[in-house]
Amino acid sequence: MTCRLCGLDHRSVRLAPGETARCTRCDGLLAKGRHGGDFPLVICVTGLVLALPACFLPFISAGKLGAERISTLFTGVGALWDNGMRALAVLVLLCGALLPILLLCTLAVLQAPARVGRWIASPELLARAARSLELGAIPEVQVLAVLVALMKLGTQVNVTIGPAFWCYCAMSFCLLLAQRGFDQGAFSERPPERGALKES
Amino acid sequence: MKRASMGLSLKGTSAATALAVAAALMLVPANLLPVLTTDQAGKNRDDTILSGAIELWKHGLGAISVIVITASIIIPILKLAGLGWIIVSVRRGPPKNARRLTRVYAALDFIGRWSMLDVFLAAFLTGLVQFGELTMVEARSGIVAFAAAVILTVLATQAFDPRTLWAAGPAPLPAPSP
Repeated sequence: MTCRLCGLDHRSVRLAPGETARCTRCDGLLAKGRHGGDFPLVICVTGLVLALPACFLPFISAGKLGAERISTLFTGVGALWDNGMRALAVLVLLCGALLPILLLCTLAVLQAPARVGRWIASPELLARAARSLELGAIPEVQVLAVLVALMKLGTQVNVTIGPAFWCYCAMSFCLLLAQRGFDQGAFSERPPERGALKES
Repeated sequence: MKRASMGLSLKGTSAATALAVAAALMLVPANLLPVLTTDQAGKNRDDTILSGAIELWKHGLGAISVIVITASIIIPILKLAGLGWIIVSVRRGPPKNARRLTRVYAALDFIGRWSMLDVFLAAFLTGLVQFGELTMVEARSGIVAFAAAVILTVLATQAFDPRTLWAAGPAPLPAPSP
């Protein structure tokens, strides 16, 4: 097991649930002991199930002087796209919806085969993909943004929170739990070193 | 050998430096240009990130204002300052405080995502508040610059390899006493 922060190699050890392994050189977190065998997989599948209503049911509805507007998770993306801010629309779509769902899928694929007694060909590659997806999958930031927006709108419009928002919040929570429960060390391989360390 | 290793470390930090400088430059239009326009009953109002946060404060939403200022102004600046400190330390030679710098790097890696708050906020408001002549909210060019700054900051953090901080190979931590 290699520390991703300082590159020091460590011997793998089995961790009890709740235990953490830290690098002996930089004190960075190497791995965490997982709770319960099926819990991370269950939480991934739950998150994926919740993603469906989060994407397609009404997210928030707003009304003003008889006019009503119902938004879904993708309404803001569409508005930005129509506004000519297409790159921004794609960014919001990726960070708020596609990458979180893809990350949940990746984590589920990594953990499902072991539960059914089968192994995937290159789990290290998928684990590294999951680590990359973590950078862009930020549904919790979108949840905070929506809460800030609701406070900001305040008394200007009548706002009703739709079922999709609650599903989205629950999906975000599942993703956080799945990430915490995912044992990166179990699938990690030594990454190719960059810069000075590659050559030295 | 050590000298050659340091030379390669400098080469490795160049991309991070370039991206961090680009992010710093992009923060200027991001903070000066309006990010949202609100059209309420024919009255137009342009808001920058800061003026929007101040407006929230004036309406008694102090806590929300603090969240917006922290996520959209303080975090990007802190992140660039932290990254700058780390890069300068590496360029000066093998850093003596590598452990502390590694912790700073890990913290920067974690907090960066929260800067996207304003981008999501603009997208959400633009999608929801569309009531024709009554009230309209529209995203403006400032938010594109801000999103670019956030992305560049994230890329700068990822481009920097924290292992270069340990190129000199300081000794491991002492084993914990039983």
